[in-house]
Amino acid sequence: MSALIASNIHKAFGDHEVLKGVSLDVARGEVVTLIGASGSGKSTFLRCLNLLEMPQQGELAIGTHQFAFGRGVRPAGDAQLALLRRSVGMVFQHFNLFPHMSVLRNITEGPVQVKGMAQAEADALGRDLLAKVGLADKADAFPSRLSGGQKQRVAIARALAMKPEVMLFDEPTSALDPELVGEVLAVIRSLASEGMTMVLVTHEMTFAADVSTRVGFMNDGIMAEIGTPEETIRQPRSERLKSFLSRFHETH
Amino acid sequence: MYVWEFAALKPYWGLIWQGLLVTVFYTVTTVAAGLVIGLIVGILRTTAPRWIAVPLRLYIEIFRCTPLLVQLVWMYYALPVLIGVDMSPAMACFIALSLYAGSFYAEIFRGGIEAVDVGQWEAGRAIGMRRGKIFRRIVLPQATQVMIPSFINQTIMQLKNTSLVSVVAVGDLLYQGSVITAASYRPLEVYTTIAVLYFVVLFPLTLVADRVELRMGAHR
Ligand SMILES: Nc1ncnc2c1ncn2[C@@H]1O[C@H](COP(=O)(O)OP(=O)(O)OP(=O)(O)O)[C@@H](O)[C@H]1O
Ligand SMILES: [Mg+2]
Repeated sequence: MSALIASNIHKAFGDHEVLKGVSLDVARGEVVTLIGASGSGKSTFLRCLNLLEMPQQGELAIGTHQFAFGRGVRPAGDAQLALLRRSVGMVFQHFNLFPHMSVLRNITEGPVQVKGMAQAEADALGRDLLAKVGLADKADAFPSRLSGGQKQRVAIARALAMKPEVMLFDEPTSALDPELVGEVLAVIRSLASEGMTMVLVTHEMTFAADVSTRVGFMNDGIMAEIGTPEETIRQPRSERLKSFLSRFHETH
Repeated sequence: MYVWEFAALKPYWGLIWQGLLVTVFYTVTTVAAGLVIGLIVGILRTTAPRWIAVPLRLYIEIFRCTPLLVQLVWMYYALPVLIGVDMSPAMACFIALSLYAGSFYAEIFRGGIEAVDVGQWEAGRAIGMRRGKIFRRIVLPQATQVMIPSFINQTIMQLKNTSLVSVVAVGDLLYQGSVITAASYRPLEVYTTIAVLYFVVLFPLTLVADRVELRMGAHR
């Protein structure tokens, strides 16, 4: 059963065609990792999955939410988009925590303001999630007092608080000092083992190989190769992917 | 050596007090009106389409790039002729001071809103918040923190600027000063007293500003 189906997604910024018809079908419980060179369109594609970017052509189905894009199709309104995003969590490279709110309030903001949950109930949920990401003692701290790894774990808890059907991660560890990468990956790994459906963009190749059900290689606005980690990372078919991987191993 | 004679002002304390009230009244009302104008114009300038944003920009530049004194006099003498309504000096002053304050506050609001990282909007959208709510709960509180020092500066300026209303014979603190001077022949005492009064009102405000700034910075 599919948790997410994106078909033939096109996106251009002005004259610059960034996505040239990308499709992806993610089964429930799958972890799909996207790899590819800088500028190949990974982030843009990921952002099309919760419609932070609006595709110009194609279709998107997540749970009961269905969208079609293109000429003659009425664009989705703010309300419809908000509804979709309730069920799709996103974690950003630069965390984007709300700096004027405590850690706990960061997490309860969505449930309370979007779903209308009572604050007390949301607080309990928030504390559970903080415990789960190993930050039970930081509920009342402000984001500025946290390390990068802690911030990212709060950001994950904030997304989980909406009880999403799918989680999107855009290079969640790229802004972190190397010694803090592990703690964030551990949280993502535990989500994977609980069966959370995830799409993530990462340069942590070993982690990707380990945790993913499939790895997709994006190149020049298309999904050039996609398969099991074994297939994509260990037995690349195209020259492009081979040279990407060898360049990658040289620099990492 | 000049012999100070503050006792000579005794009969005029009532007038001075009246003048001070008028000054404070103009400050409070025009700051309030200016804030409303500034918030609306500032928000529209960041979000509205060009055909709204461009005229608003024009309004802001006109009021920022002409002297307030000229605006006051123009509102009092020229505007009534143009729109064919009689305008009391008090009304002309209120309008000019409010629009003037509004133009500066609008720029402060706009700057504050634009200083908030787009990632904050995206984080709000990503958890399913609607635009208005993101603005109120996520962006505006952060913009306000950035704005507070400029906001307080502008408000202090506004209080000082109200002294210009004396030009069109509105009885503020400075105007009463000139009246009392004419009656008492004691310009030194009168204007010293008035300067001290402005200072006494404004200095605590600057202290509050410093406090607020410190507290705001606390969880950065
Ligand atoms: N909002 C935008 N406006 C204009 N161009 C954009 C915008 N967002 C992305 N692009 C362009 O689209 C292309 C793909 O960007 P994208 O961020 O999707 O790449 P990426 O694969 O995530 O790269 P990286 O590994 O560097 O994050 C780039 O050339 C980028 O400059
Ligand atoms: Mg990217």
